[in-house]
Amino acid sequence: MKVYMKQIKMIAWFSENGTLTPFKFQIKDDNNEFITVKIGRISERSEEKLAGNRMMVYRCQSEINGVERQYELKYEVATCKWYLYKM
Amino acid sequence: MNDRIIMHVDANSAFLSWSTVYALQHGGTVDYREIPSIVGGNQATRHGIVLAKSIPAKKYGIQTGEPVVQALRKCPSLVVIPPEYHVYMQCSSAMLEILKDYSDRIQVFSIDEVFLDYTGMEKVLGDPVKVAHHIKDRIKKELGFTVSIGISTNKLLAKMASDLKKPDAVTTLYREEIPFKMWKLNVRDLYMVGAATEAKLMKMGIYTIGDLANTEVEYLRYKFKSWGEVLWCYANGIENSEVKPEGEIPYVKGIGNSCTIHFDVEDRETAHKVLLSLVETVGMRLRHGNFCCRLVQVSIKTNELKSYSHQRKFFVPTDCTNAIYEEACRLFDEAWKGEPIRNLGVRVSELCGNDFVQLSMLEKDYEKQRKIDKAIDGIRMKFGSLSVFRAGFLYSRLSPLQGGIVEDFPVMTSIL
Repeated sequence: MKVYMKQIKMIAWFSENGTLTPFKFQIKDDNNEFITVKIGRISERSEEKLAGNRMMVYRCQSEINGVERQYELKYEVATCKWYLYKM
Repeated sequence: MNDRIIMHVDANSAFLSWSTVYALQHGGTVDYREIPSIVGGNQATRHGIVLAKSIPAKKYGIQTGEPVVQALRKCPSLVVIPPEYHVYMQCSSAMLEILKDYSDRIQVFSIDEVFLDYTGMEKVLGDPVKVAHHIKDRIKKELGFTVSIGISTNKLLAKMASDLKKPDAVTTLYREEIPFKMWKLNVRDLYMVGAATEAKLMKMGIYTIGDLANTEVEYLRYKFKSWGEVLWCYANGIENSEVKPEGEIPYVKGIGNSCTIHFDVEDRETAHKVLLSLVETVGMRLRHGNFCCRLVQVSIKTNELKSYSHQRKFFVPTDCTNAIYEEACRLFDEAWKGEPIRNLGVRVSELCGNDFVQLSMLEKDYEKQRKIDKAIDGIRMKFGSLSVFRAGFLYSRLSPLQGGIVEDFPVMTSIL
């Protein structure tokens, strides 16, 4: 997997107890067009506090352009931004 | 007092490793801790000094506090990272949060150093050395940076201990370990010994902390007055100040701010404006601590790095921005010899409480001014420090408040 750390548009949902789950996201491809990816499976979720900065990390898997691919998403709590971290 | 257990937690190359961890978290690929790198101020605004250095940079002889230009001459491939104070604040508070799990008596000594009073906690959490290792590993795992922890029976020895082994280490320095762990060190390594004291001690033939510890205390007192006795005590590991939890105001002797201006100041009006911006922050700090001051000092550093200062006493103690400003301008006018100015500083001292103030019939009545100061402080506390400022600063290229970096974290202090 390669580190991208690219900001993405995201739709996510919160459960009653505050658990945050990503649902689908949009990312610009090389031709500057948006690709929409629906999150297929979340295999692992964790929280990191590196440098005192809280981030939720999700390891996910989806079908992108007909291929099943694994990737990692990050949500930065302080800025409410979603990133495609690695793919 | 002997059975106190004090830990001193010190983040290794704090600013540098904090910047690195933050960058790595945001997809950075270079670990600045492993290459020659520094955190340095902006050279364009002339704040270009080394604030922190990596361990590989240390090997090139780069020192904290030296100009970035000089550091680049020592190592041309050096990577210079700009400081990010908001990240440092975040790291510092996160470290504090973790430490709070181990004791309720915690003193924030500076942005990257914390004292922790572990006395009595060994009954709950166990052996201090084991716990220190646990703290160190937990900070490394959760926050991503390394710390050095010193353990001893007082704050001075704990601080000396954390300096002995870096990075990512736990070191003890109990009283019986002083002769073989601390005494062999250069006298400069002792807390509070700077270049001036070192030079004087060298002249007296005192080279190591051990030499100092074994010198007659009377002789030191003769040479350095009361300071000599403090030095002797420190060299012998004698120090018994409390770990002061947050919120308690430490004993303050004076409050001062200074700033390097991003251009050379050559006229009186601009210099007065800079003084005003400094007095604004000094005044706020003074009132925040509920102090009044009796002495004002203005210091000037020229573009050739020559420094001089001038000071005067007030008849009546004051905490009023305008009163201090007027005096600072008078002092400046008397002292300034007309050369281009690089750095200006204002310092107030001889502090006393502000609850009873002697009024004077011969002085200007500052009662109204004090009310306005209070109102302005309130507004700034609530809406940010730049919510109100003096119109004179409009289009002046100068910041209306100067001195200090962020909020209340001291970067360095000399009071244990």
